[in-house]
Amino acid sequence: MTGLVGRGVARVDGRAKVTGAARYAADHEIPGMLHGHLVLSTVARGEITELDTSAALALPGVVAVLTHRDLPPLRVPSFPYLKGFVPMQDTRVHHSGQPVAHVVAETPEQAREAANLVRVRYRAERPTAHLAHALDEAFLPPLFRDEPNEFVRGDAGAALEAAAVRVEQDYSSPMMHHNPIEPHSSTAVWDGNSLTLYESAQGIVFTRRVVSIAFDLPEANIRIISPYLGGGFGAKGPTWSHTLLNAAVAREVGRPVRVTLTRAQMYTMNGHRAEYRRNLRLGATREGRLTAIVDTSTAQLTRTDHGVYNTSESTLRLYDCPNVHVRQLGVRLDLPSSSYMRSPETTAHFGLETALDELAHELGVDPVELRIRNHASADPHSGEPYSSKHLLDCYRIAARAFGWARRDPRPGSMRDGNVRVGWGMATETHTFSAIQSNVELTVDVDGRATLRAATQEIGTGTYTVITQVAADELGMPLEHVTTLLGDTAYPDAALSAASATVASVIGPVSQAAQDARKAVIALAVADPRSPLHGVPAEDVVAERGYLFARGDRGRRDSYRGALARHGRPVIVTGSRLNSSGHSYGAVFVEVRFDPRLATLRVSRVVTAYDPGRVLNHRTAHGQVIGGVTWGIGFALMEHTMVDPHTARVVNPNLSTYLVPVSADTPSVESFFVDRPDKGSTALGARGFGETPGTGVPAAIGNAIFHATGRRLRDVPFTRDKLL
Amino acid sequence: MKDFAYVAAPDVATAVRAAADAPGARFLAGGTNLVDLMRQHVERPDTVVDISRLPLTSVEETKSGGLRIGALMRNSDLAAHPLVRTRYPMLTQALLAGASAQLRNMATVGGNLLQRTRCPYFYDRATPCHKREPGTGCAAVGGFNRSHAILGTSASCVATHPSDMCVALAALDAVVEVEDVRGTRRIPLADLHRLPGDTPHLETTLAPDELITSVELPAPAAAPSRYRKVRDRASFAFALVSVAAALEVTDGTVAAVRLALGGVAPKPWRAVEAERVLTGAPATEESFRAAADAELAPAVTLDGNEFKVELARRTIVATLRDLAREGSRA
Repeated sequence: MTGLVGRGVARVDGRAKVTGAARYAADHEIPGMLHGHLVLSTVARGEITELDTSAALALPGVVAVLTHRDLPPLRVPSFPYLKGFVPMQDTRVHHSGQPVAHVVAETPEQAREAANLVRVRYRAERPTAHLAHALDEAFLPPLFRDEPNEFVRGDAGAALEAAAVRVEQDYSSPMMHHNPIEPHSSTAVWDGNSLTLYESAQGIVFTRRVVSIAFDLPEANIRIISPYLGGGFGAKGPTWSHTLLNAAVAREVGRPVRVTLTRAQMYTMNGHRAEYRRNLRLGATREGRLTAIVDTSTAQLTRTDHGVYNTSESTLRLYDCPNVHVRQLGVRLDLPSSSYMRSPETTAHFGLETALDELAHELGVDPVELRIRNHASADPHSGEPYSSKHLLDCYRIAARAFGWARRDPRPGSMRDGNVRVGWGMATETHTFSAIQSNVELTVDVDGRATLRAATQEIGTGTYTVITQVAADELGMPLEHVTTLLGDTAYPDAALSAASATVASVIGPVSQAAQDARKAVIALAVADPRSPLHGVPAEDVVAERGYLFARGDRGRRDSYRGALARHGRPVIVTGSRLNSSGHSYGAVFVEVRFDPRLATLRVSRVVTAYDPGRVLNHRTAHGQVIGGVTWGIGFALMEHTMVDPHTARVVNPNLSTYLVPVSADTPSVESFFVDRPDKGSTALGARGFGETPGTGVPAAIGNAIFHATGRRLRDVPFTRDKLL
Repeated sequence: MKDFAYVAAPDVATAVRAAADAPGARFLAGGTNLVDLMRQHVERPDTVVDISRLPLTSVEETKSGGLRIGALMRNSDLAAHPLVRTRYPMLTQALLAGASAQLRNMATVGGNLLQRTRCPYFYDRATPCHKREPGTGCAAVGGFNRSHAILGTSASCVATHPSDMCVALAALDAVVEVEDVRGTRRIPLADLHRLPGDTPHLETTLAPDELITSVELPAPAAAPSRYRKVRDRASFAFALVSVAAALEVTDGTVAAVRLALGGVAPKPWRAVEAERVLTGAPATEESFRAAADAELAPAVTLDGNEFKVELARRTIVATLRDLAREGSRA
């Protein structure tokens, strides 16, 4: 142990990324490769009646134009394939922007132009695009991933009826899109009955499974390669239809084919945060103790799948409320399938944390104090004790750093000239998953270590943190350890989603590194040529690549020496299970509102978190900056506009789908309790990535209320709503 | 993008000749708008005449005390030019309010004048749009129209002109110099852009082969001026409403005023009615309100953009109020 864990080590892949040496999915050069381009449906519901590919085929460079008439049948995989159907298998159109043809040409430009020349006629039916137009069709969807959509604890109806104080309100958010900066790309290379995919995938093991089912191929015949991702935010977690279609097309044309989605195509091809409405009813005592929560949400579904991704987790588990009734309803619309999008629990949590602020105002109780009074010291739903939870510390630390004690609670009371200042807060929380993961660690004859795992670097620092932990346990300098990820040739490991990577992978990494260290020490002490010969193994320590006898540092060997004499690598594996759980935190926000032009700025954000042990303070802070920025986008601008008549996305580009720019984002302060969770086998670290930001939309709305006295419940809080 | 013939013009004569010889040709300068439109298959020219190397990048003082700005001057260079910064600060502010630093480094003055609307339906070939395909309809009227125009619209088109620079040029009474194989002519900025009427696809009064060679600014006025842009995020977004204004107050009375609006109309909108109401009126909040109301009285709103009337009113009043205060301090 050399104290590397926790340190804000710089990205080990930083140089490769800034110099362009890192190969992303669309950067791999494959000899003989063709380029594909998808033709997407222009109607949202109906049948293809005519498909004329002649003009496209006549274009120079075009090799083939494949449609439902040409593709072999593909089996529809279940989760993590979400669409419920595979496009281009028949003439049915389920949503606008659904693939109807796949053009293959020698260059990407030729393919794209040819795609534009494919003529498709439809028998169009009138689509329904918005919840408001079909609320009377809301229903309770059946189990999804073995989870129900209704949860009952106690008797919420009766408790609400009996409550001294009640808050009942509706909260809503529109469709939103992930928009990773790297578009989805898939390159299919067939060799007989074996398939290699160069893929932008957050879960290569997932992708392999989906492809295996769709093509009825053994998993052993499939290799997925995804060493770097330019972001994903959930958009690359499930496997989407372009991957399956492109692989099928590559097989048909007998050459490798690459398809890379355009930005516009990414608004219908890879999921989104569903349009969402929620009715919340809180019951409480006069002292602010929650007695009932009745939570009825309605999310957009499709006619081909019923996945509910924006679950009411925080209603169920965050606060100590004895009576809870959650119903997660859905409405089938003629839209693409929704999916997980960064911190999916934010969607519901926004309403809960806003409603609590409303309750606090109604009761005249400080919003922090209200949360403390309802703090859960055991899981309210299961009754299980927490292995570790320091949320109360988070409230205290962040409140003090923010200066919350100076807050005048009266709305509109804090001013700076014409500008009204508002302070708001919210609890931050998200679940994290733990997925069985395996790693392989090789200490080579040069004494350097290589760690292999089929997990991914989504951009958050996975290479770095794994390398740090391995180097620390091995007692090697960071640069003596190389981490290789993103290849199913390596041992199966977690997907880079659901805040699962650290919780799932770090235990196995740590175990493998410990085992490798012990194995090499055993080699040294057993070797008469080693200066450590005969020293008890438990008395040998490893530091900076050297092995020392404890108490007699003159007796020194090294990984390099021991392995060179051994003459062959030492290879160990690690696989240690972990359990899923929650991370917690608190966010405090200051907004400045100028009523003259209804100009709103988020001017200050202070956060504190309990993610268990922090493995790298720099990447953890990076997650906070990212999460808070997402929260600002959710609160103030993100909105996929779907045309009510055509069910087409109106703003499928970064010019009109607004996300925060630097000027919208203040510097973000973050504090960490940084105490290991003894329940976590990942060195006491919990999954954390999705927790920051979950409370930000509500905290901003609460700050707006404090500044203006106006309560907004429908995001985004755009200027027109504040005029 | 379909294949096209590419002509790199070394001089203006070659450029305008190439355009005259190839009907439907498009001039390519910075490419920040044309290339996007070609990728979207909204523009499908057979010939692209690259004018980016033409020697039209200087700023010269005119005999009348104004400036002549080469049409290929980059937006960032123009914004930073000392004569523009000192004599026409409103123009610098407008330029810097537009797009991003990267786009401003590419975009030219001529291209900015001719940039096309960002109405999202104009870019989506699967939806009807009279501007893109005359006679097909307008999807914006019954669709998402929060960003659309409230002044100067017609039943066939409600798209806005997206430029910031042009709003300042409208307030400054700029004159555009154009050239074709027949010769040169001068067009007041106010007459360069058309209102949509029944022909929203005809956006300017230029002939297809006319090339903008320069923009002339009259001598600057001494009055305080400002460009103020109101948008959905702090930077890199098109205007919901913008105001270019210059206000000269003498003894508490408005001696002269220039006012132009962006984000609310199909063309850079010179607020002639507001100027008429203001000129000679007391420089008071009441006058500013009356002027804004007069200008906005003919506004026609849609489901999504009703707020623009109030936002425009407040932005006009706030900008004039600030200028009046600034003038009284001077």
